[in-house]
Amino acid sequence: MEGFMEGLLTAIEPINLFWIVLGGFLGTVVGMLPGLGPATAVAVLIPVTFGMDPTSAIILMAAIYYGAMYGGSRSSILLNTPGDGSAIAATFDGYPMAQKGQAGQAMAISAVASFIGGIIATFGFIFLAQPLANFALKFGPAEYFLLMLLTLSAIVSLSIGKMIKGFIAMCLGLLLSTVGIDPQTGIHRFTLDNPHLSEGIDFLIVIIGVYAIGEVFYNFLTINKEKKSQDKKSNMGKVWFSKEQWKRSKWPILRSAPLGFIVGVLPGAGGSIASMISYSTEKQISKKPDEFGKGAVEGLAAPESANNAASVGAMIPLLTMGIPGSGTTAVMLGALIMLGVRPGPMLFENDPGMIWGLINSMFIGNIVLVIINILLVGLLVKVLKTPAKVLYPLIIMLAFIGTYTLSYSTVDFYLLLIFGVIGLLMKVMDFPIAPLVLALIVGADMEQNFRMALVSSNGSVSIFFSSWISVVLLILTVLSLFYPLIMKLFLNKKSAN
Amino acid sequence: MKWIKIGMPVLMILISLTFLIGSFAIPKATLGNPNGPSYFPIGLSVLMLVLSIVYLFNELKTLKAFHEGIKDLMDKKTLRLIGFTIILGVIYANIFERVGFFVSTLLFLGVLLFYLNGMKKWLINIVVSISFSFITWYGFSQLLGVSLP
Amino acid sequence: MKKRGFLLILGLVLLLSACGTTKNSSGGSAYPNKHIEIVAPASPGGGWDLTARSVQKILKDNELVQNNINVINKPGGGGEVGWNYLNTKDSHYLAVNSSLLLTNNLLGQSKLTHQDFTPLATLATEWQAIAVSVDSPYQNINELFEQIKKDPTSVKIGVGPGLGNDDHLSFVQATGMKDIQAKDLNFLVYDGGGGDVVTALLGKHVDAVTTSLSEVKEHHLAGKVKILAVSSDERLEELEDVPTLQEEGLDMVFPHWRGIMGPPNMTEEEIQYWDEKLSKMVESEEWKQLLENNDWDSFYQTSEETRLFMAEQEKLYKELIDQSGLVQ
Repeated sequence: MEGFMEGLLTAIEPINLFWIVLGGFLGTVVGMLPGLGPATAVAVLIPVTFGMDPTSAIILMAAIYYGAMYGGSRSSILLNTPGDGSAIAATFDGYPMAQKGQAGQAMAISAVASFIGGIIATFGFIFLAQPLANFALKFGPAEYFLLMLLTLSAIVSLSIGKMIKGFIAMCLGLLLSTVGIDPQTGIHRFTLDNPHLSEGIDFLIVIIGVYAIGEVFYNFLTINKEKKSQDKKSNMGKVWFSKEQWKRSKWPILRSAPLGFIVGVLPGAGGSIASMISYSTEKQISKKPDEFGKGAVEGLAAPESANNAASVGAMIPLLTMGIPGSGTTAVMLGALIMLGVRPGPMLFENDPGMIWGLINSMFIGNIVLVIINILLVGLLVKVLKTPAKVLYPLIIMLAFIGTYTLSYSTVDFYLLLIFGVIGLLMKVMDFPIAPLVLALIVGADMEQNFRMALVSSNGSVSIFFSSWISVVLLILTVLSLFYPLIMKLFLNKKSAN
Repeated sequence: MKWIKIGMPVLMILISLTFLIGSFAIPKATLGNPNGPSYFPIGLSVLMLVLSIVYLFNELKTLKAFHEGIKDLMDKKTLRLIGFTIILGVIYANIFERVGFFVSTLLFLGVLLFYLNGMKKWLINIVVSISFSFITWYGFSQLLGVSLP
Repeated sequence: MKKRGFLLILGLVLLLSACGTTKNSSGGSAYPNKHIEIVAPASPGGGWDLTARSVQKILKDNELVQNNINVINKPGGGGEVGWNYLNTKDSHYLAVNSSLLLTNNLLGQSKLTHQDFTPLATLATEWQAIAVSVDSPYQNINELFEQIKKDPTSVKIGVGPGLGNDDHLSFVQATGMKDIQAKDLNFLVYDGGGGDVVTALLGKHVDAVTTSLSEVKEHHLAGKVKILAVSSDERLEELEDVPTLQEEGLDMVFPHWRGIMGPPNMTEEEIQYWDEKLSKMVESEEWKQLLENNDWDSFYQTSEETRLFMAEQEKLYKELIDQSGLVQ
């Protein structure tokens, strides 16, 4: 408790408040832009943190991280183009809501959901950091493989009515994830002797390509007969959500926060997996699963709560063990080391002031961010008022520049265009896009973990049933795939009677 | 016209075949299981191939059904617009590092705006392309310290 | 109306071309006569990027170099993309490097090697560590290696992020001294790198790890893992209880070095310039602080020394890679 109060005093020092606000705002902005994510934002700020007080530095970097979780869904809702992997789930219902003229409500509820998720996760951080860090250690290759299998089956199960297309998209994503050097053997796969491809295809390029460019191309189909839909779009709706919407989202938000938090603690899993699992869970236990994907407010609120909670969870392995669980925390680790702080088992004992300062800054930061983001709603809905013919060239340009910042190479521009065309074709032919992208995100780790698991069991598949975590994950996977089928059979019988 | 519908399944079949052939060309590993690197891609491309063939037959069954998206896509104007954007993107990729970020972005954005938004709104087009090229250049390279050419 | 727009564009183009010419014409005679660019062949935030940015900052802050210094990120292909870029540039471009410069070539992943550049300095080194969990049955490195020799499949060794790196090859060299066939070693490769390897060790998913010392040092001090040996030439401060490989009867010292180089065909004059500046840089307080924060050791060698060092290292790496079985 003493530590808590001390930390609070650290966090409300004017200079730290300034960093919280700056970091949160910057995070929101980079989160919105395609390609630019929290990892890049933290990285480019490293020179700024040289010479800063380490506590201030980590407060600033953490604020960017969760700020980006708030910002990421803005472009998902408004333009159907997620800024990062963890904002993909926000397109499922956020964009349909915007099309129904509820862009304002959608952004407001997602900000509030992120806020609640962040606060719950911060409490979780205080009480559960150490036990959860130990729990995460139980995840070996077999458990990771099964977690990723669960994620994929959860995504594919969302494409009811177009299962085959969903599976094809998933296979394509997994195949693309094998491009590059195979870590286990050092063998090059599908790299065409291009050094650029030897590190694999960056999933962010694919996200920007199929979503941003693909969406613009798709809109080109109807750009000259836009007149009718323009009227619909110019109706932004209110900037605050209704009581009814809140009632529907309340429980999904509260359920998704701990889920996202725990998934976030697992190194490597992160926001994309957390938001996807929370979305499909909510859909399956919902009484109105048919409304999901057509603008169900809880389908937006749940993953938003989960991904922000995950960003708080991701700080746990970083700070307790010095192990970065995501791209962003890896960069943060580098920056902290430069400042002479080495996160690890000793940090909680040697420097509790820093940890408590960070925790308190997260409370304050989430409050600041929910305010910033709600104030921004009014401004952001204006994006929809921009004439499409001016807006689309701008989106394309931002997509190119966002891509350039990923690896500073124009080779990626060609990839971007290719994936733009693939995105367009998938949209025209009614393919679900999320399985492609998510499969690419988890694919490489999934294969490696599968093979490592088999190597460590000397080839016996029993390793996938050997721990209670594996068994639970297996059951969940089966449920997520067949739950809709079971329900359908059940309902059919009922109606037949 | 209606045959366009099977374009997508055929494309998917071709992609899976390419990956399948490529998978067999993966060199044998010198460490561990020599075929370790190729099992996963082979399995996936076979799965994708089978699914794509099923998909092809599904599309063949509903060949006659009207599909609005395809009709819009095959519209000459749309194709020209998309093709133009892609060509412009390729040009952009080629000049980006040669003439620098600002000039290439200005040209890319300007040309695209003029093509899409029409000559009549030239003032908006010019103002938008200059101001946004500058804002992005300033934001990325000055504020964020990203190294742009 | 149309005319005015045209004039506007024309004016702008003229303005831009004017800017362009002023930039290029600022030529002088004495080197360096324009901005210095340091290429970090990796994304922002990684080890190479941090090294490049530290060099940039220290050279500027101590006013060792008057010209502007920028850092350019060119990630891809384990350094390959950035070094390819440097290869075509003039002497105002430098790049950070490490042993990957040699191994990429030896593994057939790159046509370029150290001879295609001008080495300017070796700056710092990290040391390698071999570690097990605290309650491991293996109390010293020889017990571990004996078990590997007896039954290679029974000892899972965590390494990352890829084979052919120093973590992997240092282990190959050490086991090779005990006549263990590198092909039999049971490696699990974690492509997340050092952090993942340590997680795996803490969770007992592997029996031993080979990684940079900095990844496991804190855990060793906290009593969560046990470092069996380090690859340095003498025992390290703070880790007095950990023997070196040499003390354990394995006659090897394995540095994981980082250096800096320029494009090919730099003049004597230019090389001398950097020898002077960089030797001053490594004496600065900030540099020493940087080494300490990162658990690095000073490893400064001049351009000429580095050239010889590289040739020597290339021979060693060639042997190790042949031994490792990575290429046939």
